[in-house]
Amino acid sequence: MRTVAVFSEADRESLHVRQADEAFCVGPGPVPRSYLNIPNIISTALVTGCDAIHPGYGFLAENARFAEICADHGLTFIGPKPSVIAAMGDKATAKRVMKDAGVATTPGTDILASVDEARAAAEQVGYPVLLKATAGGGGKGMRVVERPEEMERAYASATAEAEASFKDGRVYMEKLILNPRHIEVQVLGDEFGNVVSLGERDCSVQKPSHQKLIEESPAPHLSEKARAALLEMAVRACKHVGYTNAGTLEFLVSGEQVYFMEMNTRIQVEHPVTEMVYSVDLVKEQIRIAAGEPLGYEQKDLQLRGHAIECRINAEDPRNNFAPQAGTLQRVVFPGGPGVRVDTHVFSGAMVPPYYDSMIAKIIAFGATRDAAIARMERALRETVVDGVNTTIRQCLEILATPQFREGTYDIGFLPHLLAQMEPAAAER
Amino acid sequence: MASRVQRLAEFFVETDLLRLRIEREGEEIELGRAVLHREPVPELPSDLTADAPPARLDAIKADLVGIFHLSRPATAEGDLLESDRELAYIEALGIRNPVRSRGAGRIAAVRCADGDAVEYGQVLFEIDRG
Repeated sequence: MRTVAVFSEADRESLHVRQADEAFCVGPGPVPRSYLNIPNIISTALVTGCDAIHPGYGFLAENARFAEICADHGLTFIGPKPSVIAAMGDKATAKRVMKDAGVATTPGTDILASVDEARAAAEQVGYPVLLKATAGGGGKGMRVVERPEEMERAYASATAEAEASFKDGRVYMEKLILNPRHIEVQVLGDEFGNVVSLGERDCSVQKPSHQKLIEESPAPHLSEKARAALLEMAVRACKHVGYTNAGTLEFLVSGEQVYFMEMNTRIQVEHPVTEMVYSVDLVKEQIRIAAGEPLGYEQKDLQLRGHAIECRINAEDPRNNFAPQAGTLQRVVFPGGPGVRVDTHVFSGAMVPPYYDSMIAKIIAFGATRDAAIARMERALRETVVDGVNTTIRQCLEILATPQFREGTYDIGFLPHLLAQMEPAAAER
Repeated sequence: MASRVQRLAEFFVETDLLRLRIEREGEEIELGRAVLHREPVPELPSDLTADAPPARLDAIKADLVGIFHLSRPATAEGDLLESDRELAYIEALGIRNPVRSRGAGRIAAVRCADGDAVEYGQVLFEIDRG
């Protein structure tokens, strides 16, 4: 299969540009004029004779209008149908649909019309609450509101950030479940009504901004009963909405209670951990499904084997609130060896532009057991060299060394708590 | 009228258009900007530059992705342009997007062939502004 990459002027040297058979610049660095420039992206597909567009996991990946425009131009959008993206990608609507399918959801609201409505709703739901962008993902447009007096400012900044990131400023509210685990289920559905789950991922190691940093599959300390219930719920929900292609249902798990949070109607950053433990190439499956092929296997054919962990290597300063770093990477050395996978777009001498997400690589380690995967990940992280910007490598090593991570007892409060403990120590140095 | 022009000017500043002209019901508004994209001028050997002043080369770049077509009559290297004119157009999503010379000059180079797929920022023409 031949590939055509699109890129912005700031990404001209990026590895994805070199690795594609052809590459087209679609605009200058700022996102609205390049990676969200629908006319130039569609025009690129047409002038190069593409059959299909894979939208990746950012920008237009969950944009139903983009999927419709692809169809209007005879291009296959590699993802679910536009109507399903619109229903499930819209997080407030998704919760309503899930309730219909009999899936438990977190207490919360539909889309909020004003800050006054947000205030009234928060009184009903009970503080603390979360404001979340309905078009969102990656922690963008999300704010924790602990007290009524914080609402006005949080509402304004959440809507502004959502508008800037997704061209959709609408937000909704959810009760903040204190210190749950973030566990998500990977699903695949074909156009013939077959839906399978490919296990779960624990993504509870999150920065204070709610962005994930370390993910693993399977989730540690999830009882077989809870796991089976979670996977069954995900498959039932997808069948209910006629879901096709790859998708992820995110749940908050607190004790034995499971709440549906949102669905991502696209491939996710952390999909490699699932690929490692199920020996399935999810992107290939996405392309096969989009081409109209049946899955060709059933749930019982999918066997979980071993354990996989992913660490996100971001150009960020963990000692300074994970402030994004831009600059030249003077030297980059990635790890190798059995059971280690690296997904990246950078290399020695690459520039990290200031316009985009700060993730520069994902390191994934596989092991027959969780302990083996952790040991391999520690070795891989120590082998990794990134000179020129601050990164999350050391932070990831520190997390892996904690008893909570070793024992798999962490929740989403774990990393913010660890950082708060480290701050005084850092100040003493 | 004044507020419409102001809104239009604000929009124009945010784009990378060099000239915007709207004609409607006897009204005509044209906005332009002085800053032009410049390709670095190649250094010439000193014996050549001794009496001839260095050429002022303007690069006309594609501002969208599409198929490049020369407008008729087709321009070629060395052609003199007395004023602003349409040199080519980029066909994108069924729309014909004119590429203009943005003033007078001499065509120093035609950098694309009729029917080429062009990307954003690709140099299409070089014009010697003399």
